[in-house]
Amino acid sequence: MNVLEMYDIHRSFEAGVPVLDGVDLTMAPGEVVGLLGRNGAGKTTLIHIAIGMLHQQRGTVKIFGLDPHRQPVEVKRRVGFVSENQILPAFLNVHEVVELHRGLFSSWDDEMARELATRFAIPANARIKTLSKGQARQVALLCALCHRPELLLLDEPAGGLDALARREFLETAIQALVETGTTILFSSHYLSDVERLASRVVMLHESKVLIDNSIDELHESFSIALVPHRPQGTSDALLALPECLGVRRRTDAVHAVFRLDPDDACALIAARLGITDARCRTAGLEEMFIEIAGGER
Amino acid sequence: MLIVVDPSSGVPVFRQVMDQVRFHIASGLLQPGDELPATRSLSAELGVNPMTISKAYNLLERDGVLERRPGRPLVVRELDPEELEVEKIDRLRASLTDAVRAALQLGLENDEALRVYGELLEEASEEEQS
Repeated sequence: MNVLEMYDIHRSFEAGVPVLDGVDLTMAPGEVVGLLGRNGAGKTTLIHIAIGMLHQQRGTVKIFGLDPHRQPVEVKRRVGFVSENQILPAFLNVHEVVELHRGLFSSWDDEMARELATRFAIPANARIKTLSKGQARQVALLCALCHRPELLLLDEPAGGLDALARREFLETAIQALVETGTTILFSSHYLSDVERLASRVVMLHESKVLIDNSIDELHESFSIALVPHRPQGTSDALLALPECLGVRRRTDAVHAVFRLDPDDACALIAARLGITDARCRTAGLEEMFIEIAGGER
Repeated sequence: MLIVVDPSSGVPVFRQVMDQVRFHIASGLLQPGDELPATRSLSAELGVNPMTISKAYNLLERDGVLERRPGRPLVVRELDPEELEVEKIDRLRASLTDAVRAALQLGLENDEALRVYGELLEEASEEEQS
């Protein structure tokens, strides 16, 4: 059974301005999905709807086959959640915050909590308000992981963390993956983190899912074509190809992202546009993201 | 084991791992019978999804490069001299792809490109000896 099933999700905060416009997302057990999109693309909204923190205006959500609004306690018992803007009670100390969570979950794993606390090296008597951003996020992660959730939702978990804290966060998530087989949905602007952790990438663009592919497919079956500007109308002709995800006009050339491997993309451009000196290559996620997010469709 | 991954390179991480294991075997750094790190420890060390490592290992096993025995770590399979030679040539071919593409894009004659490769080889082996 799928861990998460979201169908045809619609949500807007202002009439006529959809944030999510018919979004589908399903996740099988053990999958790690990286959720991409520009600021305001609806990543947080989607995660909040998944966990029942927000109502969708249309569409259905099933999490472990349950409705997060009808069975909120059962759902939250099996979910872990960390967000960039998470607020822990500032006046409590670390021990008290951990105890609070421990009391809420019958599945709490004391050994794991001890191990993470040792690894993070945060003094138990430190007040939350005295912690650095990285330490506070680590406490939040500990609280989200130690009841061994089946689904972990991480909303920009690495936001504002330095490179080392980000790596430690990543390693802790990997440990949860190995030991518990946790399914993970995480949004991040750090695309190299997404490339390390995600097995699948979902990109939200203009309120819809533009890309939903395995990370290996993105690396091998997608390409960026650099197409010389002449003749006029090249970018429109590229956009008219169904395999073209978007184009970006640069001074030297048109950059186009294709849902094809480089050889097939070059062959298609030659066959349909008669342009034989396009250069096509595979690219990393960051470059792909910039070409799509900064381009037109 | 000497494996380094660059997740942003555009080459899938599982392929980077496969290429490096094969290279180490062809170069003799990894010898027949040598044990490979467990999936979870390599995954933690490299900071990548464990499924990526098991995908690389499974494909290397399918290709007959690694051997799995029940309850034991994955080990490097013994290649006969002929197989090893083929493997070495394959690795060299793989690392020359970019150089070949550059020669074509630069419009160099084949002879010219071969001469440059020969010169570089000679320079490198002289340096090795000195």
